[in-house]
Amino acid sequence: MTEPHWQDLIALDALEPDDVTAVALGRHRLAVYDGTAGISVSEARCTHAGADLCDGYFDGKAIECPLHQALFDCVSGRALAAPAVKPLKMYQSRVRDGRIEVLLPK
Amino acid sequence: MSHLVRTPITQALEEGALTRRELKAFMSRSDGPALIRLAGWLIVLSMTTFAIWASLGTGWVIPAMFVHGVVLVHHFSLQHECCHYTAFKTRWANDVAGNICGLIIMLPNRFFRYEHCDHHTHTQIHGKDTEIIEMPQSYKEYWLYLSSYPYWKAKFSELWRHFKGHLTPADKRFVPREEYSTIIWEARLMVAFYLIVFALSVYFQTFAALWYWLIPVVMGEPVMRAIRMTEHVGRPTVADMKTNTRSNRVGPVWRFLCWNMNYHAEHHYAASVPFHALPALSKKLDGYIYTEPDGYLGAHKDMLGQIKHTSP
Repeated sequence: MTEPHWQDLIALDALEPDDVTAVALGRHRLAVYDGTAGISVSEARCTHAGADLCDGYFDGKAIECPLHQALFDCVSGRALAAPAVKPLKMYQSRVRDGRIEVLLPK
Repeated sequence: MSHLVRTPITQALEEGALTRRELKAFMSRSDGPALIRLAGWLIVLSMTTFAIWASLGTGWVIPAMFVHGVVLVHHFSLQHECCHYTAFKTRWANDVAGNICGLIIMLPNRFFRYEHCDHHTHTQIHGKDTEIIEMPQSYKEYWLYLSSYPYWKAKFSELWRHFKGHLTPADKRFVPREEYSTIIWEARLMVAFYLIVFALSVYFQTFAALWYWLIPVVMGEPVMRAIRMTEHVGRPTVADMKTNTRSNRVGPVWRFLCWNMNYHAEHHYAASVPFHALPALSKKLDGYIYTEPDGYLGAHKDMLGQIKHTSP
């Protein structure tokens, strides 16, 4: 695995506004949040039972798993409600020329 | 890429039944609709409670207790909505309401939550669906299920098992390991609650809990069993939500009591959609899912017809 480096992810205006958008990048399936605190990016897989968080309910701050309603903070990745106990893997992101970039290994 | 579990919502989106934007709008949450319905709920409960009080000592007490019981067992519908965290926008309010409902109908809220989520994951799949009600193979099996005897037997054994600190391998299939102790203590607290009610009844020498709660719940449960049967029984036991779940067109009184859960196929497609948005979701999915036009009675007519053809 290579050292993490900035990779192009998606155009800012291609995001679902005020919602979560699923983006595949290499072996990663990522969840891109357009939340109240700005853009953030996490692995899309729930750390509890593996459901796709991109199909869950997003209220601007937290994402709720569609399978067991576990809840995660979309900025820190912290597990906020059972049954999830492991935090979400978050990735650093930035916006460059209207596109979102994410810092992760290729 | 890590393997993702395919949820019903994922299927709905992949099949183009909904777009993410439409789903987002349907999933929008609010406390208002549930609070308004709850106010109506309390009025109805007050009326049916008064009817029992007014008819005590007369023959009318039997139908009064039955009607009250039918309302009481529908606390299941609110609890069900709360276990999906869709009744109220305020998350803890779902836990509070769900636990109160669970105490009324003896259904441990947290345990039900996990069991029910698994039902959504494996709907109508033999050996996997934790809530599957098998299609009766004879009229005897049909009436036995409706009597609620098998239901209460299962629920009492489950509560007692958890009270003793034991989870079966079947329980452990859907209860996360980190929640084992919660499930056990939930059962113990429930039993403690019922013992306190019993002790208070003895101390105050009152049968109120029996007349206004326990006997009506037992009398009403067959109605809830009949309604629960309409959701999946008689539908194909396959992993296809277009066919394995039945929605029922019913009147406003039933819709009020069941918190719109007659829109059951719609609910299975997108369990994160709150009860108040289900009628709109139903219009969106019209023709895409299976709906029984003749409601609960039509569903039972369907089941009885199938029994007639298979019964020896």
